[in-house]
Amino acid sequence: MILELKEVSKAYGSIQALRRVSFSVDRDEIVALLGPNGAGKTTAIEIALGLRSADGGSATVFGESPRRTAVRRRIGVTPQDSGFPDMLRVAEIVEFVAAHYPDPMALSDVLSDFGLEELAKRRAGTLSGGESRRLALALAFAGNPELVVLDEPTTGLDVESRRRLWRTLRTFCRDRCVIFTTHYLEEAEVNATRVVVLDRGRTLFDGEPEALRARVGRRSVSYVGANGRVAVRPDDADEYVRTLVRSGNHFSDLEVTRPSLEEAFLALTGASR
Amino acid sequence: MNDVVLLRAHTRVGFLDLVRWPGYVVPTLLFPAMFYVLFDLPFARRHAGIANVTTLAFIAFAVVGVALYQFGVGIAQERGRPWERFLRTLPAPTAVRFGARIATAMIFGVLTACLVAVVARMLTPIDLGWSQWTLVAVYTLCGGVPFVLMGITLGYWTSPRAAVPLATASNLLLAYGGGLWMPPDDLPDFVAKISPYLPTRQFGDLLWSVTGYAHAGPAIAGLAVYTAIFALAATLGYRRDEQRRYS
Repeated sequence: MILELKEVSKAYGSIQALRRVSFSVDRDEIVALLGPNGAGKTTAIEIALGLRSADGGSATVFGESPRRTAVRRRIGVTPQDSGFPDMLRVAEIVEFVAAHYPDPMALSDVLSDFGLEELAKRRAGTLSGGESRRLALALAFAGNPELVVLDEPTTGLDVESRRRLWRTLRTFCRDRCVIFTTHYLEEAEVNATRVVVLDRGRTLFDGEPEALRARVGRRSVSYVGANGRVAVRPDDADEYVRTLVRSGNHFSDLEVTRPSLEEAFLALTGASR
Repeated sequence: MNDVVLLRAHTRVGFLDLVRWPGYVVPTLLFPAMFYVLFDLPFARRHAGIANVTTLAFIAFAVVGVALYQFGVGIAQERGRPWERFLRTLPAPTAVRFGARIATAMIFGVLTACLVAVVARMLTPIDLGWSQWTLVAVYTLCGGVPFVLMGITLGYWTSPRAAVPLATASNLLLAYGGGLWMPPDDLPDFVAKISPYLPTRQFGDLLWSVTGYAHAGPAIAGLAVYTAIFALAATLGYRRDEQRRYS
């Protein structure tokens, strides 16, 4: 097991951030930790990285305490808030982080792979939100680590930048284990080999994206027909569309939408919520 | 990975981030030398004995200032930053991060003190020999330790906003009360009474002992007490911050 949280609990004062949460990352896995804000994702990651101590349970990485320097040499992390020292240049920051690892990527490779070549000499204080996010991600990979931890890698980015980032990330996630947190259902489904859903400190789901899709309920279909807009949520959206097309009736603006994260959570928690 | 390589990498990053802020570099490097020229040069020019004493006082002032700002203000402003949090995820021992801060402060402290010494060599009849300068260098480095710890204490016990005025006030008051700006003999009576108990005065005495102007013994004892007090206060402050932020 590469990373393992066992029955981890954590409270901040009277707020119970995690309640006996367990999950693991195995070799060749890309695990998404999915949940709304305040679900406990960041706390779980911080405990897994040894930045915080758990009230109960255990966290191990490569079978050992994540606080050990030897273990951390095998982990690359993306800072959640990309606040870099204003006066340092992009290349300097990458080199600095890479210097911590035994077998880092070459500087030029990091810069070109994450689209930072033009920015190499720029000071971190002058980067835009998207640019500093790219730098933050590059830092997780710069040391060429076996395990990569991405805390909300795409938060605050527009849809197009998010897609572009994930294209880059997918090629880099090959041959290593990755765990990332997100509050986008789609991001978790498309990019992960396994999804762990957290809500209010509890594990709601742990399994493959397909199984999650099956659990989170039906897609809704909407289109503009002869009598205006129609919106339905059929048992089988694919079959419904097939029938619609075969009927030969005129329609436009067809949309098949997945349930939102909120709806998915409703489905996962059932009546308890 | 070799800790020496890491120490160099951390020092480089810390140094570059500071040296590119003219607002930090110019006042830090120039103020002690400038104050020296403004306040003490007229007296120091007249007599080698005065030049020796005032120059050593301003070397102490330079080091105290760098220690209080670099550690006090630096730590207070950086400890809550995301970058600091990210650094903790990197495979580097805490000692390396602290060591880099000490190294950066030493670079600025030595440069600042050297500037005072160079100004004095150029403009006054100062007559310290090489063996005396060597002793001054050793005393400066050792005597700076309690002030580094005082800075760390300040950094962990104050908020980022309060750190700057507090560092400035303690720096100026301690320098004045310690007789670093004007000879202790010229201080007003009530200040002269508390002066011997101030760490700045003891630091001054330690440096002055090189010229025979003061005795090293009591100064070393006093600085040792302050070192113990601030080592404890700094450790408690560091632990308290760790607890609040990372538990």
